[in-house]
Amino acid sequence: MSRQGSAGDGMRRALAPVRSWLLTTGGIAIAAVYLFPVYWMVISSLKANPELFAATPTLYPHAPTLAAFRWIFARENVGLYLQNSAIISFSVTALTLVLATGAAYALARIRTFWTAAMVVAIMAVQVLPPPLLVTPMFVIFRQIGLVNTQFAVILATTTKVLPFAIIMLRTSFAQIPVELEEAARVDGCPRFVAFFHITLPLARTGYIVVSSLVFLLAYGEFVYPLSLMNHKELQPGPVGLYSFVGADFADWPDALAFATVFVAPVIVLYMFLQRRIVSGLTAGALK
Amino acid sequence: MSQPLRHTLDATPWRMSRDRFLDSSTIWMLLIGAAALFLLLLVGYPIAYNLVMSVQEVTLGNLPSFSRPWVGLQNYRQLLADPLFLLVAKNTLVFTVANVAVQFVLGLGLALYFQLSFPASSFLRGLVLVGWMLPPLVIGAVWKWLLGSDSGFVNYALQGLGLISGKIYWLADPSLSLLAVTIANIWFGVPFNMILLAAGLAGIPADIYEAAALDGAGPVRRFIWITLPLLRPTIYALLSLTTVYTMRAFDLIYTMTHGGPLDSSNIFPVWSYRMSFELFDFGGGAAIATAMFALVLVVALAYVRSVNAERPM
Repeated sequence: MSRQGSAGDGMRRALAPVRSWLLTTGGIAIAAVYLFPVYWMVISSLKANPELFAATPTLYPHAPTLAAFRWIFARENVGLYLQNSAIISFSVTALTLVLATGAAYALARIRTFWTAAMVVAIMAVQVLPPPLLVTPMFVIFRQIGLVNTQFAVILATTTKVLPFAIIMLRTSFAQIPVELEEAARVDGCPRFVAFFHITLPLARTGYIVVSSLVFLLAYGEFVYPLSLMNHKELQPGPVGLYSFVGADFADWPDALAFATVFVAPVIVLYMFLQRRIVSGLTAGALK
Repeated sequence: MSQPLRHTLDATPWRMSRDRFLDSSTIWMLLIGAAALFLLLLVGYPIAYNLVMSVQEVTLGNLPSFSRPWVGLQNYRQLLADPLFLLVAKNTLVFTVANVAVQFVLGLGLALYFQLSFPASSFLRGLVLVGWMLPPLVIGAVWKWLLGSDSGFVNYALQGLGLISGKIYWLADPSLSLLAVTIANIWFGVPFNMILLAAGLAGIPADIYEAAALDGAGPVRRFIWITLPLLRPTIYALLSLTTVYTMRAFDLIYTMTHGGPLDSSNIFPVWSYRMSFELFDFGGGAAIATAMFALVLVVALAYVRSVNAERPM
C-alpha cells in the first residue's frame, strides 16, 4: 500500500509539468471560446461592407478599415453620446461615494438591532430591478418636472448602485481595527481627522474596487436614460447604441463600431484593475 | 451605542465641543440618515407610489395630477384576463429556470477548473470575468449580430460543423427567440456565478480535503461529501441572486427581440415596461411591477437569510 503510494507520487511529480501545461492550455481554450463574441465584435467593426456580410465570414479582417469609426464620429454624433455617458457616470460615482461613505462607516462601527435591520433592508433594495422601478419613477419625476434632465437619470441610477456601494464599503471599514482610530484619538487627533487620515487611506483598495464597479454599472445603465429622457442630445451611449441595433434591420457597420468604441474604456479600466476587482468581489460581494 | 469607542473617549477631559458633536450619536444618525433618506425618497416612495398606481387608472392625460380615478383591482383583473398573461408567465418561468440552472452549472464547472492550480489560472479566470463587466446593451448588440440569420457567425459555425443544413432564424422564429435571449443572458451571467463560487471554494479549508483523501475518498466523493455541503450557503445566496438578476435581463431582451416576435420572448419586466412606456397604461405597468416586487422581495429575503447564515455579523 505505502510502496504503491510512493510510486504513484513519483509518477505524479514526473507528470506535473505535463499536467500544468495541459491545464493552462485548457484554460486558454476556455477563455478564448468565452471571449470569442467580444473578438468577433471588434474584428467585424473593422470590416468593410461586402466582407462584413459575406456568406463565408472571414476570421480576421482581410481588408481592415476604420471607415465605420470615422463615419460614426463625423455623422452620428457618437462623441456627444460618450460625453453624456461620462457626465452621468462620473456624477453617479461621486454622489454614490459621498452618500455611501458615511453610511457604510456608521453601519460598520455601530452594531445594534437597528443597524442590522438597515443592512438587511439595503441588501433587499440592492436587488430591485430598474425595469420595474422605472414606471413609478417616471411618473414622480414627471410630476416634479425633472423628466428630460440628466439630473433625473443620475438620481435614478444612484439608487441602483448606492446599496451595493454601502454594503461593499461597510465590509472594507469593518476590516479596519477600531483600535487604530482610538490610538490616534488618544494622541489628540479629532475623530473626523482620524477618519480621513487613518481609516480612509486604509480602505483605499475597497474604494478603488467600489468606485470602478459603480462607474461600470452606471456606464452601462440603459433603462433609466431610455425612459426618463427623450432628448437625443442628452442621451448616454447605451441609448445611442440602441438606436443603431434596436430596429429589426440594424445598421450593423455603425452599430459594431459604436459598440467597440463604447466598450473600450470598460476593457481598459478592467485590465488595469482586474486583480483588485476579482479579490474585492470575492471578499465583499456577498457579505 | 458604539461602546468600543466610548471607553477611551470618556476619559479625555480636553475634548472640544466639535469633537463631542462628532462623537455623539447624532453624527452617526446623520451619516446613516443621508443615505437612508435618499433611498427612502427614491426607492421606498416609488414602490409605495407604484402600489397606489396599480389600483388607479393612470394615463398620459392624468399623469401630472394626483387625483386619478380609483379602479380597485381592475388592473390586476385585466392582466389575469389578458391572453398574453399565460404566455408571459410561461416565458418568465422557463427563462428564469434555464438561466439559473445553466449559469450555476457552468459557473461551478469553471470555478472548479480554475481552482486547480496551474500557471496563469487566476489571470485566465479574470479574463472570463470581463463578460460580466460589459454594458448589457453591448452584449445584446453582439449577440444579435452573432445570431443573425444571414451573416451571423453562429449559423455559419453550425453549418460548418454539419449540425444544421438551412438557416436558423434565431431571433425571428417565435419558437427560438426565447432560446436565443437565454443563450445571451447565460453568457452574461456565467462569470458572476463563477467568481462567487470560486470565492466559496477558496473558503473551504484544504486540510479537510487532505483528511478525506487519507481516508481514501476519491475526487468525486470529496466533491459530494465535502465541497457541496460546505458550499451550501454560497449556493443558496447565489441561486437567489441569479434569480433576481434574471429580472434585469430586460436590457438584453429589449435590444435583441423587443420581447417578440409575437411576444415569444416577452417576460414580466419587459411586459411591464411596454405596458407603461409603449401603451401608456401606467396602471397596468404598475400592477405587473407590484406583483414582481413582491416576488423579488421574497427571493431577496431568502438571499439575505443565506448570507447571514454564511457570515453572522
